[in-house]
Amino acid sequence: MDTSFLEIRRVGKIFSPHQNVEVRALSDIDLAIRRGEFAVLSGPSGSGKTTLLNIIGGLDSASSGTVLLDGIQVTDLGEKRLSALRRDHIGFVFQAYNLIPVLTARENIEYVMRLQGHSAAACDRRSQEVAAKLEIAELLDKLPNQLSGGQQQRVAVARAVAGKPKLILADEPTANLDSKSAANLMDMMQQLNEEEGITIIFSSHDPLVISKAKHSIVLRDGKVVANEHLD
Amino acid sequence: MIFIHFALRNIRAYAVRSLVTILLLSLTTAMLVFATAFMDGSHDKMLSNAVEIYPGYIQITHPDFRAKPSLDNLIFDVEAVARAVAATPGIAAAAPRFETFVLFAADEKAVGGMLSGIDFAAERRLSRLASSRTTGRYPEDGDGNQLYLGYELARRLQVEVGDELAFVGTGADYSFAADNLEVVGIFRTGLFDFDATAAFVGKDYFDGVMAATNYATHFIVQPEDPHAADQVTAALNERLGRHYVAESWRTTMEGLVQAMLVDSIFGYLTLAVIFVVIFFVVLIYTWLTVFARMREIGVLRAVGTRPGQILQMLVAESALLALAGVVLGGMIGAGLAWYFHLHPITLAMSEEVFKQYGLAASSMPTTFAPLIILRDMAMMFVLAVLSTLYPIIKANRVKPIEAIHHV
Repeated sequence: MDTSFLEIRRVGKIFSPHQNVEVRALSDIDLAIRRGEFAVLSGPSGSGKTTLLNIIGGLDSASSGTVLLDGIQVTDLGEKRLSALRRDHIGFVFQAYNLIPVLTARENIEYVMRLQGHSAAACDRRSQEVAAKLEIAELLDKLPNQLSGGQQQRVAVARAVAGKPKLILADEPTANLDSKSAANLMDMMQQLNEEEGITIIFSSHDPLVISKAKHSIVLRDGKVVANEHLD
Repeated sequence: MIFIHFALRNIRAYAVRSLVTILLLSLTTAMLVFATAFMDGSHDKMLSNAVEIYPGYIQITHPDFRAKPSLDNLIFDVEAVARAVAATPGIAAAAPRFETFVLFAADEKAVGGMLSGIDFAAERRLSRLASSRTTGRYPEDGDGNQLYLGYELARRLQVEVGDELAFVGTGADYSFAADNLEVVGIFRTGLFDFDATAAFVGKDYFDGVMAATNYATHFIVQPEDPHAADQVTAALNERLGRHYVAESWRTTMEGLVQAMLVDSIFGYLTLAVIFVVIFFVVLIYTWLTVFARMREIGVLRAVGTRPGQILQMLVAESALLALAGVVLGGMIGAGLAWYFHLHPITLAMSEEVFKQYGLAASSMPTTFAPLIILRDMAMMFVLAVLSTLYPIIKANRVKPIEAIHHV
C-alpha cells in the first residue's frame, strides 16, 4: 500500500454566506488515504463531509491547507488543469445521480472517455464491460428519465468508473435509494474497488455504507473526531 | 464532434425552447430582410419616378445655365453636342430639349406654363411622357403646332383634346413669339407641379416659331445602365470639353438626393433600434435558458469538461439554432420581398405625402436583391450568436459546485 496517495494537510474552509458572517465548515483537517482504500467519511449533517469531498475533487477551493493527490497539489491548480485532473484521475458519484438528461445511459458512461480522447470502439468496449459489471447492459440505450433511481445511480457509478480514474468520490450515493438497491450498489462498488484497484471515498451516514468501510473517518463540526483503519 | 452531437441532442431535447428561439430569430430576420427590401425599393421607386418621368439620368447644358438659366446660356450647337454624345459609349438614347416659359391663353383663361420643344420619337426612350397619356394621342414626327398638354394645366385652362389655345413668349433671339396650338393629347404623370405647368410641341416646329434652330436649353441622355450614370457623365465631360457640362441626376436633383439620404438615415436608425431590441431579447432568452441548465453545466464541469469546451458546446447550440432561424426567416423575408416586388404595396392614403418626395404613384415595389438578403441574414446570424456569448461566458465562470447546486 502507498501511504502518500491522498494527503490532506491542515485543510480549512470558511463560507461567507453574507457580509460579516463567516461559517467555518472545516478546521485544520489532516488525513492520509492509501491507494486502493475503501474509505468512508461519516458524521451528522453539516459536519463537513460533502465540503471535504468537494475540496479533494477540486470542485471547491479550500480556504487554507493543501490537498495532494498522487503527488499533485490539487489546491494549487488553475481551472483548466483542475478540469484535466477530474477528467483523467477522479470519478464522481453524486447523491442526486446528476446524469446528463439528454444523453442515453451509454452516452453518459462514455462521455468522460470521449473527453479523454478514446476512440468510439474503445468507448463502446469499455461501456459494455462496465455495464456488465454493474448489471445495466440492457439499459444502455435508455435515457435517464426512463430509469429508476437505483438504475440511474448504477449508471452514474459506471460513468465514474469508465474513464479508469485513480479515485472515486461518492457523496452519499445511497441516500436516495431503497435498502435493497443501496446494498446492491455497495456490493458492486466494493467489487470495483477490488477488481479495478480504484480508491473510493464515500461520504455517508448510512450504517450499511459505513459497515463496508476499510477506513472510517468521522467528522463532527468540521473536525476529524475519529480516524480508524479497519482492515 | 462530441460537442456538436451534444448540441444537437440538446436542441432536440429542449424542443419548445429551441422552437421559440428559431421562431424569434426567423421572425426578426424576416422583418429585417423585408424592411431592407422595402426601404431599397422605395428609394429605387423614388429615383425612377423622379428621374425617368422627365428630368433624366444625365443632362448636358451650357456651363453657366444651371446658375443662370437665360437665353445667353443655351447650347448653341446642338449638332456638335449630338456628335460628342454619339461618340461616347454606354448611352442608350439622347435628344435635345428647349424649355421656355410662356403665357397660354384659352377662351376664358390665361395661365403661365413651360413650353418645351422635344423630339417626340426619341422621348419615348428618354421619359415617360408617352406612357403618361390620359386622353387624345401622343404627338408624332411631322406634327406641327399640335400640343401635348399636362392634365392640371389643361384643367386650369379649361381645354380638352381638340381645343385650340394661343401662347405668347420670347424667342431664342429675344424676339416676340406667338402662335395658336391645337391640343392633341393630355398627359398625367402624377407629379402635380409638372402636370400643372408642362406642355410640349415638336422640336422642329418649336425651332421655327422660337428661332431656336440648332439651339437647346439642355440635352437629355439615357445611359444603358442607369446605375452607371456617374461613369457615363464623366466620359461625356471628357468629350464635351469646357464648352458644355454633363451632370448626373445626383447633381441636377440635389433635393431628391437629400431626401433619399434623410430617408436612409431614418431607415438605418430604425434598423439599428431593431438590432438592439433583437440583441437584448436573444440575450435575455439565452440567459434564462442557460441558467436553467446550470446544474447540467456544473455536472459537465465536474466530470472534467473544460470551460472552453462548455463554451464550444453552448455556442455550437446557439449557432445551430441561429442558423435555422436565420435561414427560415431569410426565406420568409425573401419570399415577401419577391411577392411585393411583383405585386407592389399600394398606400392610397399617402398619395399627398408621396408627392412631396417626388413620387408619382403610391405603389411601392420592394427590391429583390439576393446579395442584400444574404448580407442581412449574415448580420442577423452574427448578432444572434454574439448576443448569446455573454450569458454563456457568465454561466461558465461559476464554480462547478455552485453550478451543480444552482436552483
